[in-house]
Amino acid sequence: MNALLGVVFLLFAAVPCIQGQYEDARCKCICPNPSVVNATTESNRKHYIGNVPPNKCNCDSVVLAKVGDLIKGKEQEFCPRCECKYESRNTTTIKVVVIIVVWAVSLLVVYMLFLVCLEPLISGRTGKSYQEHVDEDESHQMTTTQQGGVLDRVGHQQDKWKRQVREQRRNIYDRHTMLN
Amino acid sequence: MTSDGDKWWADVSSGDAGYQYQYSRLATEEMESDPLRGDRAPQFCNPSYQALSDNKLPIPFEPRDQAHGGTCRGPPPPTSASSSKIATAVYHRKGSQNGHPDRLNSLSSDDDMIDITTTGTVSERAMLEEELAAASHITTESDEIPGIGQYEDFHTIDWQRDIARDRMRHRYIIKKKQNSICDLIRGAHDAWSGWVCVLLVGLFTGAVAGVIDIGASWMTDLKYGICPQAFWLNQEQCCWSSNETDFEVGSCSQWLTWPEVFGLSREGSGPYVLSYLLYVLWALLFAALAACLVRMFAPYACGSGIPEIKTILSGFIIRGYLGKWTLIIKSVGIMLSVSAGLNLGKEGPMVHIACCIGNILSYLFPKYGRNEAKKREILSAAAAAGVSVAFGAPIGGVLFSLEEVSYYFPLKTLWRSFFCALVAAFILRSINPFGNEHSVLFYVEYSKDWIFFELVPFIGLGVIGGVIATIFIKANLWWCRYRKVSRLGQYPVSEVLIVSLVTAVIAYPNPYTRMSTSQLIYLLFSQCGVANSDPLCDYNRNFTDVNSAIETAAAGPGVYNALWLLSLALIFKLVGTIFTFGIKVPCGLFIPSLCLGAIVGRFVGIGMEQLAYNYPHIWVFSGECSTGDNCITPGLYAMVGAAAVLGGVTRMTVSLVVIMFELTGGVRYIVPLMAAAMASKWVGDALGRQGIYDAHINLNGYPFLDSKEEFEHTSLAADVMQPKRNEPLSVITQDSMTVDDVAALLKETEHNGFPVVVSRESQYLVGFVLRRDLNLAIANAKRLNEGITGQSLVVFVSPNASGDGGESSMGARRPAPLILKKILDMAPITMTDQTPMETVVDMFRKLGLRQTLVTHNGRLLGVITKKDVLRHIKQMDNEDPNSVLFN
Repeated sequence: MNALLGVVFLLFAAVPCIQGQYEDARCKCICPNPSVVNATTESNRKHYIGNVPPNKCNCDSVVLAKVGDLIKGKEQEFCPRCECKYESRNTTTIKVVVIIVVWAVSLLVVYMLFLVCLEPLISGRTGKSYQEHVDEDESHQMTTTQQGGVLDRVGHQQDKWKRQVREQRRNIYDRHTMLN
Repeated sequence: MTSDGDKWWADVSSGDAGYQYQYSRLATEEMESDPLRGDRAPQFCNPSYQALSDNKLPIPFEPRDQAHGGTCRGPPPPTSASSSKIATAVYHRKGSQNGHPDRLNSLSSDDDMIDITTTGTVSERAMLEEELAAASHITTESDEIPGIGQYEDFHTIDWQRDIARDRMRHRYIIKKKQNSICDLIRGAHDAWSGWVCVLLVGLFTGAVAGVIDIGASWMTDLKYGICPQAFWLNQEQCCWSSNETDFEVGSCSQWLTWPEVFGLSREGSGPYVLSYLLYVLWALLFAALAACLVRMFAPYACGSGIPEIKTILSGFIIRGYLGKWTLIIKSVGIMLSVSAGLNLGKEGPMVHIACCIGNILSYLFPKYGRNEAKKREILSAAAAAGVSVAFGAPIGGVLFSLEEVSYYFPLKTLWRSFFCALVAAFILRSINPFGNEHSVLFYVEYSKDWIFFELVPFIGLGVIGGVIATIFIKANLWWCRYRKVSRLGQYPVSEVLIVSLVTAVIAYPNPYTRMSTSQLIYLLFSQCGVANSDPLCDYNRNFTDVNSAIETAAAGPGVYNALWLLSLALIFKLVGTIFTFGIKVPCGLFIPSLCLGAIVGRFVGIGMEQLAYNYPHIWVFSGECSTGDNCITPGLYAMVGAAAVLGGVTRMTVSLVVIMFELTGGVRYIVPLMAAAMASKWVGDALGRQGIYDAHINLNGYPFLDSKEEFEHTSLAADVMQPKRNEPLSVITQDSMTVDDVAALLKETEHNGFPVVVSRESQYLVGFVLRRDLNLAIANAKRLNEGITGQSLVVFVSPNASGDGGESSMGARRPAPLILKKILDMAPITMTDQTPMETVVDMFRKLGLRQTLVTHNGRLLGVITKKDVLRHIKQMDNEDPNSVLFN
């Protein structure tokens, strides 16, 4: 599964980031096929997208600009059949959010793989003794007074967290007392 | 004696200053013991009177009394000489007790009160209040045993105690306010911190919901292809400004399907197989990731979370359930599992996510973070914000919180929830995750009004919805129970993989199941206008003007084809959801239930529409359909059907209707929605007693005392209380047990709290002490105070009084006594053994009790805990009482 993810990332990296035609607003008109004015019965629909100000989002300025010559003289018949809608979005938000999500997922996966594969090797040599389970808030208050470096504290927090997760796992996956 | 008590009361209410304390104590207790009226905190509980009543001379008020919230509503602290007075105090609190505390004592305690009147002058009182302020300063700043007031994992909170604790803290801040500018600012900060907290919760909830919406829609489309020029765009966004005019939703040259990425053409059998394969692989990858992340980092993130939130809000502690890892993993996991195409929704988990945010942010405000009862006010508001962002329905969210999840919901919380939901909805709306100016994908607007006769099919839909919901609940519960007890439960990740594999393989061939469930709901809800080219809208009609009404038309072959596919989709979704809800990934069931109902509703709607087309003149349409305009909106039927199934599954009514009409942006469909929701609830209640959340609470044995159900048996408190007849009651005496005795008691028994009595012979009640507090206090004393040994006496009375008593009886050789007055709850709720269980259950529900003490003739007889009540209810309902698991 990691390999697949890697492929995805390679793909993303290989893709040149072209921002060309991704505007943040559009006027989208959905119309019948222009041949409908010639009384043929084609039912497929077409959509026309224009980049116009909101007050000009109508058939005249979006659709006729593109297919005006096809329906010459029958604009009055064709245009009422078009539905135009002005829409806006924010591509920057989308970009930032998606990149954050991809990062978050990949970080979590990497950390998970680390915990699954490398952690047993590392913790094998430190061999910490089992500490009695203490409550979150209590132990929090006690840790504030401890000496020792940042790394120790981080390690301590991580141990505490791991113990909690183990407990949760036991509740849910082994004993089935919760969340079934 | 009752009449005498009444008379006593009458005397009290005559307003003599000397009686004021006794009266105020009683009144305070009455008010404070009702969490629903908690706002009306009486401010006249003045401990100075208590000091007076104790010793008849103005001694400095004890700081430790202040530390314990309930002190000032409790009986006067007992001295060795006043032991009989306690009994009368307890007696007085229960006006209707038919015991016999002797009149003499009763009178003498009244006399004491009268004495107070003569001694406690105004100036003395003022002086005492100053001392109180000074004393309470000490208490709040120091002298706290770490961990007191917290609870252990899987324990029930004591609402009364926490609310009293908060009130003490509040009173202290009010008192300090005049002292300095700094304190004034602190007071102001305290006053507005509730609003600031919900504001922050709203902001973060909206933002997280936006991230989840955008992320999920992007990942969902990753199953089909990619936008190479801007990989962060989903299919629709990728084709946002395409110049091509061919109308095939979201397919344009910028968007590459996977076969195209690998250099094949878009159409054909080879590319189809490749797309199929990649669809399944992506689904498996996402599901596997979700399941592994949940298992590795936060097992609590699985499931919908609403049953657990309900339990937590009713006053239960599940440590880590609302923590930061749960938040992260649930947010990421729900994106992954929604993208995997499983039959689940992100709406339920959104409530859990919002509650996690509420819990984390409440730690910024000690007022809420350090007080479990107050924290639940923030959590209620957060739950409202969760639904608000899930459906873009702020009012619906508030009502959901009120109707479905919250247990204790005062008006203040209602307003805060309202504000929180508003902020969250505003943030999400400004992020605009779906590019449709709304915060949900399936927002629709209808133009047609409904005909009166249509109420009949709407109610019919309600009935169908109730039936489908019952089938779903029963089947899902059966499957979950099977998972719980069988070997299946040992393979959580494999189960997720198998479910997602089967789902993906079956879903892909059918276009209605291949698309995401939200999109399907949107399609079913929407009207067949000019813009809709789905086969479902293949009617023999021509659009000549988008502004004129849609004409009625015969359904074309596309519609019938679509109906076939939809009926397959209905079966698939129903079966799939039964097996999906409960697997170990984050999963909610709002969206699948909405979808089931929408499919059924659309069937009925199309049927009605064709009826109106073929027989426009029958009386039921009252002439509305004879003009040739379309008079029936199948989309509205889909919405009503969706509401019916969701209402049947969750048994919501008001909040459901409001959520649904907020989705349509029109109030005129309230009546159809109400009719369907009501019919579905009736049918559901008739066929199966519980909604899905209550059923899951039951399945897991959470200690949830449902306030919806009535207790209708005739048992008495004596039948329920522990210990049963002929068994000893574990008690602690107030001043004659040593530390070793207490340690032995703690070792031998597993009770979570112990009543404190005057002596084993008299069994007169002093108070109640929690096991956890006792443990902490003893450990703390041993650590800090060298004088404490195993032989030290544990004393629960005032130090000076006990000092006298201790020295006179035991001699001076004894080591210093361990004084634990501050951890003693001197105002435990008591009731007599003849109290009907109906009343007891009511008290547990309404006061949010953790336990109550049972007395007989004023002597302690036993204890009833919440668990005892729950077990008793189960027993009465002929269910297994051992299924209640926690404390």
